[in-house]
Amino acid sequence: MGVLNAFRVRMNTLAIVLIPVCIAINWAGHALAQALHLFFLDSVGTVLGGLLAGPWVGGISGLLTNIISSGSTDPIAWAYCGVAFAIGIVAGIGGYYGWYRTWAGRITLYVLIVLVASVISTPININLYAGQSGVPFGDALYTGMVKSGWPTWLAAYIDEASGDIPDKLITVVVATLIFFGLPNRYRSLFSVWRRPSGEPEPAPAS
Amino acid sequence: MAGGLSLYAEGSSFLHRAHPLTKGVLMLSAVALAFIAPSVGWVIAILLLLLALVTAAGVLRRLLTVALAILLPLTLLLLAVQGFANVNNRTEAFALGPIVYYREGLAIAALAALRIACLVCATFLFSFTTRPADIAEALMQRGLSPRMGYVVQAALQIIPQTLDTAGRIQDAQRARGLETEGSLPRRARAYLPLMLPLVLSSLVATQERAMALEVRGFGLAVKRVARFDFADNTYQRVLRWLLAVAVPGAIVARVVGWR
Amino acid sequence: MEVSSTALVLEGVCYAYEEAPREAVSDISLTIGEGEWVGVTGPTNAGKSTLCLLAMGLAPHFFGGRLKGKVTVLAKDSRSVSVIERSSEVGLLFQNPFTQVSGARERVDEEVAFGPECHGVARPEVDARVEEAMGLAGITHLAARHPMELSGGQLQRLALAGLLAMRPRLLLLDEPTSQLDPAGTAAIFQVLDGLHRRGTTIVMVEHRLETLCEVCPRVVAMVAGRVIADGAPEEVFNIEKVQERVGMPVFTRLARARALPRPWPVRLRDAASAFAKSIA
Repeated sequence: MGVLNAFRVRMNTLAIVLIPVCIAINWAGHALAQALHLFFLDSVGTVLGGLLAGPWVGGISGLLTNIISSGSTDPIAWAYCGVAFAIGIVAGIGGYYGWYRTWAGRITLYVLIVLVASVISTPININLYAGQSGVPFGDALYTGMVKSGWPTWLAAYIDEASGDIPDKLITVVVATLIFFGLPNRYRSLFSVWRRPSGEPEPAPAS
Repeated sequence: MAGGLSLYAEGSSFLHRAHPLTKGVLMLSAVALAFIAPSVGWVIAILLLLLALVTAAGVLRRLLTVALAILLPLTLLLLAVQGFANVNNRTEAFALGPIVYYREGLAIAALAALRIACLVCATFLFSFTTRPADIAEALMQRGLSPRMGYVVQAALQIIPQTLDTAGRIQDAQRARGLETEGSLPRRARAYLPLMLPLVLSSLVATQERAMALEVRGFGLAVKRVARFDFADNTYQRVLRWLLAVAVPGAIVARVVGWR
Repeated sequence: MEVSSTALVLEGVCYAYEEAPREAVSDISLTIGEGEWVGVTGPTNAGKSTLCLLAMGLAPHFFGGRLKGKVTVLAKDSRSVSVIERSSEVGLLFQNPFTQVSGARERVDEEVAFGPECHGVARPEVDARVEEAMGLAGITHLAARHPMELSGGQLQRLALAGLLAMRPRLLLLDEPTSQLDPAGTAAIFQVLDGLHRRGTTIVMVEHRLETLCEVCPRVVAMVAGRVIADGAPEEVFNIEKVQERVGMPVFTRLARARALPRPWPVRLRDAASAFAKSIA
């Protein structure tokens, strides 16, 4: 299938060098979000990396961000590695098909990322937090739903999704805007993975 | 150094000296067993064992400081929600005014909280006793590609630098009048003017960096030579195997009827 | 071991970057022997950097583009050898000292060891090469420092040490001192002088003509992707076309202004004696 081509090209040195930068963007994005009291926003680098350089760069950036977080301030982060990895993969597929070019594509990217994040997080929440997400607003929804007789798994999903919907919206909007804010020449540096033959990069700055 | 990222605390306990792989397996299997074990008693036993190791490593105070800051809010939230709303709630435990709390929910919350405590303690135990450079080296010795090892090592250096840059951009933009407080839409609007310069400055020179790496032979398919050796011995090897076997063994026990 | 008396041979080489409207270099033929120290100069977009990238193999392997003609480096065609395979015998030092650090090492000596480690060199050999390279680059006293604490000049010497740890037979330098202060610049040239004495072939892009004439026994002048002159500095900078399109060292300009007899001097010492004579 066509999408498998996005995974087939071996990452070149440029793609490898991009990954630590995307990880750092995730960290800094999260720090800035905390300063603004604005959700979580720890996946901007993951999504940007995916759009620029493909699913492997996106996925690995997300995965390593969580692992490094666990070795530092957030020891629980590694339980959610799979979520971060999946977001990067979806962003990479979006980059391969150029979803960022149209409004329909951008909305598709956003919806898929929210779905993937919430669907993968919910079972982890169920095992770790008895279905809660740890976010007060979402947990309040959860409480209300369970008390009203809704099934726990659904309450858990709504709890998680209520956080993901705004968080990933800002993430995707910011990542896409930054992607377009990059010089054309820079974006095309990474486009080797979009072409099956793996042709290399264009000219350096004169 | 890996800036403010690394939690590594200098020490010479047997945990500090153990092979990173041993500690990694220990951490993963402790967490796995805490989540497989069926009842609070078992989980508490695992937690106490972990705390004993933490004490032996000399990092108990440090660990308690950071762990409690994470665990207390989570535990309270769990108790508040599950005690009140869990589907299994039947037996009343106490009432806060009109809100009734039930034993079943509180017990479930307690079990979840204890398991998370095991996860947190096991992870911190690993982070406090192992240098990040050693983790990368140990993984590469066991087959992680040197290019991936580079990615981890570079990330550990570039993250603190980028956080500094983020701080400076924040100050600069605030000085220019960027509103970072107030309503949600206002704060959300402030995010892009902070992120865009940050990302642009981080991405500059990636092409030059990639060229400079290739000029030094980065990515050559040769067998990697270890930079230094870790102390390993039979005890550790045996321990790793035992732990690795214990996890599927516990799963089987659960299936067969371990309550 | 390959024995060759030529380090770099270009035969009718034309190269255009991907999606570029015109060629960066056109019909270049050049032979540089082992052990030579050649300076390359010219105005902007003359193709000087491209020449370095061609010799290293980054053009075409890293940049794609269209390559015509033949580039032979140390007796091997550059099309058939990748950049990383080349890295054990050819080195390229770029302009910017800050972007050549690997970013994955916390000590200067570990940073210098990066290249040999990529090549799978055995540990004792790596240590020996690191010591040798740091000595050559004059940064042994910085061995335990974190690379991010170093100044621009020190970083450039670190980058150079990193390349020297590979013991390259051909060293390419693209304006290596343009971002350094005079002290840093002098330090780099001291290192290059030592390397030249040891037989390393050096190809250096340099736009400061006084420096170029002082240190390089041979100069190649390029304009708009073509070689317009190739020879000793005193020959090259007395050619009118070069003087017009590339410029001249300040001493030569002074000599012209004073209407001294041709050929005009290009180096300080020659200029000093020529002026002394004209006053006497």
